[in-house]
Amino acid sequence: MAADVHKKKGWEVPNGSLAPGNGQHAERSESPTPGLAQGTEPGKGQSAGQEGAMFVHTRSYEDLTSPEDGGAVVRSPEERRGEPAEPTSMEQISKDFSELSTQLTGMALDLEEEMRQSQEGKLEPSPQATRHDSVLSGKEEEDVTMDTWRMHRKHVFVLSEAGKPVYSRYGSEEALSSTMGVMMALVSFLEAEKNAIRSIHADGYKVVFVRKSPLVLVAVARTRQSEQEIAHELLYIYYQILSLLTWTQLNHIFQQKQNYDLRRLLAGSERITDNLLDLMAHDPSFLMGAVRCLPLAASVRDAVSTSLQQAKAKSLVFSILLSGNQLVSLVRKKDQFLHPIDLHLLFNLISSSSSFREGEAWTPICLPKFNSSGFFHAHISYLEQEMDLCLLLVSTDREDFFTVSDCKRRFQERLRRRGVHHALQEALRTPFYSVAQVGIPDLRHFIYKSKSSGLFTSPEIEAPYVREEEKERLLGLYQYLHSRAHNSSRPLKNIYFTGPRENLLAWVTSAFELYICYSPLGTKAGAISAVNKLMKWIRKEEDRLFILTPQTY
Amino acid sequence: MRCGAAPLGPPQKDVPGDGGTRGRGSGAAPLTPLPAPVLQVMLLGDSGVGKTCFLLQFKDGAFLSGTFIATVGIDFRNKVVAVDGVKVKLQIWDTAGQERFRSVTHAYYRDAQALLLLYDITSKMSFDNIRAWLTEIHEYAQKDVVIMLLGNKADVSSERMVRTEDGASLAREYGVPFMETSAKTGMNVELAFLAIARELKQRAVQLPDEPRFQIHDYIEAQQKRSGCCAFI
Repeated sequence: MAADVHKKKGWEVPNGSLAPGNGQHAERSESPTPGLAQGTEPGKGQSAGQEGAMFVHTRSYEDLTSPEDGGAVVRSPEERRGEPAEPTSMEQISKDFSELSTQLTGMALDLEEEMRQSQEGKLEPSPQATRHDSVLSGKEEEDVTMDTWRMHRKHVFVLSEAGKPVYSRYGSEEALSSTMGVMMALVSFLEAEKNAIRSIHADGYKVVFVRKSPLVLVAVARTRQSEQEIAHELLYIYYQILSLLTWTQLNHIFQQKQNYDLRRLLAGSERITDNLLDLMAHDPSFLMGAVRCLPLAASVRDAVSTSLQQAKAKSLVFSILLSGNQLVSLVRKKDQFLHPIDLHLLFNLISSSSSFREGEAWTPICLPKFNSSGFFHAHISYLEQEMDLCLLLVSTDREDFFTVSDCKRRFQERLRRRGVHHALQEALRTPFYSVAQVGIPDLRHFIYKSKSSGLFTSPEIEAPYVREEEKERLLGLYQYLHSRAHNSSRPLKNIYFTGPRENLLAWVTSAFELYICYSPLGTKAGAISAVNKLMKWIRKEEDRLFILTPQTY
Repeated sequence: MRCGAAPLGPPQKDVPGDGGTRGRGSGAAPLTPLPAPVLQVMLLGDSGVGKTCFLLQFKDGAFLSGTFIATVGIDFRNKVVAVDGVKVKLQIWDTAGQERFRSVTHAYYRDAQALLLLYDITSKMSFDNIRAWLTEIHEYAQKDVVIMLLGNKADVSSERMVRTEDGASLAREYGVPFMETSAKTGMNVELAFLAIARELKQRAVQLPDEPRFQIHDYIEAQQKRSGCCAFI
């Protein structure tokens, strides 16, 4: 089996919209955040200066008002879930797959039984391996035979092509080694037929496979997300692994030794991957493929950017100031662009560890969308302990710690001299704005993404989305609208969604994407005028909500 | 510049700001008031032996209990200590024990004047790896680097896997001072840092015919005073 897989190395799942091309590791990213790069405005898509032109692409308005237009009104996902989803073919598929796993591996028919077996026949972990798990990951491993384990909404597994476990979101990898074996068997079986397994849909679950040689990533989800979106999240996990190892090293390792236990090299990073999965479940940045800015007066932001720009060094490529998971300022080397995915990985790295709070960290990091074959070295430090303001200086030179550390000192000095320290502190006190500021009574929440800049803005999630499940439900609705809008076979420009607890509207143009959530009592006409008013408000506030004048060194 | 600089990487660049004071040359004129001499110390050892906790205990007198948080890359912190009434600035590198960070750790070995090499007395493996660490140190660090071997987590004696004698005899074999420590209770934590600070400060201001500071004797004396017996 392993040899079989090996032969087909380099063969990729033809997943056009998600999987970056085969050669992506070798080239620079094709879609950097041009706004940060080229100085375009967030609202630029509507060609700056022509206020009226904001709605040039809006055939949408007519679309919205004419329900007979096919995609404009869609049913709620709940409704859709209820409908019989081609039961015969589904049954057939799951039957085929269970047969197939038996045939290939002689292992159990269904997952449940398989799991029980794996527990009994668990490979004796060496004392060293046990220690490795308990000490390095620091998390209590769950018993994979328990119902609670099975009840998780989304499982994520990473394995090598030899079927060796690399990562499991819940439960220890050892206990799951035979489950992962079955997963690999499924993948190889279809590949032997010159085919590829992309997903299995059964019993409310989606099992999604992403093949990125030499790794295989699998998600088992009960969420409402589309297959495409789950695959997108798996890709993020893949990039996360690349950011620790580089594509070159990852491939080299498995070329040398096909059954290498990658967990050895990834030790201590479980928390980072866990955190990424948690973040993706409640932060719309990943869904939007864009970055959110800390709302900040343009004058203050400019002062910060200029200070960053002046505190440069030869080896510096990016200087990034961030707060929480929001961007405060980004200065880059001329002609070098940062991809939102790379920035998300940096955000995740910082939010996943409290160890950056003190001192100055210096760590190798690969930015896979920028260049997946090499490491940058990142200097990470908080400006002040009580202040949630983290400075990230990305350098090309491993030896340059002291030079880069001095850049930080110079930046702080300039910041002090410009006297923006106080204004920054004020801004950090209210890192999110309230939707009430827009002045539309029925409006509950919205997400506006400017495509040209790769930035988005969104107010704080407020009542009635108070509890964590409610917040996730709202994000789930956005995910649903997003997946309908970006469905590769039938993309939609406008979606008007009427749910039992809220109404939503999505509007996607070549320049921006807008998703709004408003009261269930609101009307469609009300929603349309709300969009108008909201767009005007965003226009008015854009210099506070976005970075309009990106800087280079 | 410095003897025994590691063979890898470009030559040491002068660092703006504190570069001038980092070397040992700053002690040349003892009569003029000098800025506090700067000493670089690095914490090494396998992942999970308690390097970060050890440092936090020394810096803040606090113990970080709860889940293990792996250090990412290397982490740089300062602490000023007083040695015989003279201020000494310790620049401390806390390193990640994981294999994938080795290359970045290696790059900063040669800047360090002292290395605290830790193992976990409840983990035989971390002790067995000490030899490998020492080999690495000899390859990358300065020739005259001060090394101290520390058996950490001495408070969890119920789970002890490495006998004190084993630690002591390994230390003797390599001619380095040894102590058992506890980042949790603070046992010997300050002593370890102060001993190396004293040793390095002594070296920095040492006159040619002055007797050498005996770090072994110093530790022994200090430990006897505090009634602790975990030494060679």
